[in-house]
Amino acid sequence: MTGDPRVVRLLLACYPSGWRRRYGPEYGQLLCDLRVQRHPLLILDSLHGALRAQLAPGGLQMSARSPMTTAVWAVGLFTVAGIAFQKLSEDLTGAGGSTADALRAWLVAAAAVSMLALLVATAPTGVALLRGRDRRAWGYVAVPVVGAAAWFGVVRALRAVGQPGGVHSGANLAVVAVVVLAGVGVVAATAWAASAVLRRVPAEQPARLRPVALVVLAVGMGATAVLALAWGLSVRAGDPGVVSGDQGLVATPFVPSWVATVVLLAAAAALAAVAGRRQIGLAH
Amino acid sequence: MGDELGRWAEPGLLVLASLADGDKHGYAITTDVADHVGVRLGPGTLYAALGRLEAQGLIEGLPAEGRRRPYRLTPAGAAELSAQSSRMQHLATLSLHRLGTVPA
Repeated sequence: MTGDPRVVRLLLACYPSGWRRRYGPEYGQLLCDLRVQRHPLLILDSLHGALRAQLAPGGLQMSARSPMTTAVWAVGLFTVAGIAFQKLSEDLTGAGGSTADALRAWLVAAAAVSMLALLVATAPTGVALLRGRDRRAWGYVAVPVVGAAAWFGVVRALRAVGQPGGVHSGANLAVVAVVVLAGVGVVAATAWAASAVLRRVPAEQPARLRPVALVVLAVGMGATAVLALAWGLSVRAGDPGVVSGDQGLVATPFVPSWVATVVLLAAAAALAAVAGRRQIGLAH
Repeated sequence: MGDELGRWAEPGLLVLASLADGDKHGYAITTDVADHVGVRLGPGTLYAALGRLEAQGLIEGLPAEGRRRPYRLTPAGAAELSAQSSRMQHLATLSLHRLGTVPA
């Protein structure tokens, strides 16, 4: 081996796990033979190849992740972004006039359509679970319940400690960080459990159900991201004072919180689109 | 498949042409293509093409020799290469004739 093992390992890690199982050793040897660490264009070519392998519909067998797993993680990210948007917008009702309020209502409707699409996509697995096809899978269903209970426990414990001081004090920021990280942990655990149930419970799938549902999921999420963007612009136009004030998350400036929320929503939509594309590829 | 391989310097076609005179592993294919065609196939491009060709049954992987795996042209791959080469030869002849570079 004549290449830099760290660079080779890093480039290999960018490929899907299934692809690495099939081509990993020989591809690693090729990267070494080409002394890839000395050629930035070859590194870019390898990264481009990895991206195509990750996104290729026909590369589904090359990926350890099923489309539904990707969709579930997209919904997890969407949930976190949605909670952030709710916290951001709840104190700004009326700030952007009727247009902003209407955009917010449309955003909620688009998010609801997305969640409905997820329910439709997972319905056959839910029915199979209720029919007792895999009794052990019920253990995974307990994960979100236990997680939510644990999160409320954390919040109550922190409240019992008392008021930590001003909103920007270190103590308060630490409390907020613990609450947010615990919440994200619960969402991640729920997504993991849902993925496991979808993977292991055998269910009859109508041919077009999941492709259509995942496309609707992605479109709904994309619409939500666009509406969140438009809502922020509308708020800014209706009340310029909001932009210069501390109306963002944890009393921070508005714009960074708004931009971060829109980016998270867009990332979730992109992930859902990847899931939809893979599911369509599988259907064909 | 035909349209994809018909594009000039399509990596899949270059790989098929390289394997036409014998089995080769990845590095040997890249050096062969660079030496004879003047096209430098990047590693990601090469393995995307190898994966596609293997999935289409136009090449097959042989048992690995250490960490290197040679690939071989299948009969279907040879037929595809022959068909594409004939098409390109016809196009080249037609173009040169119309340009007046060669006599009719």
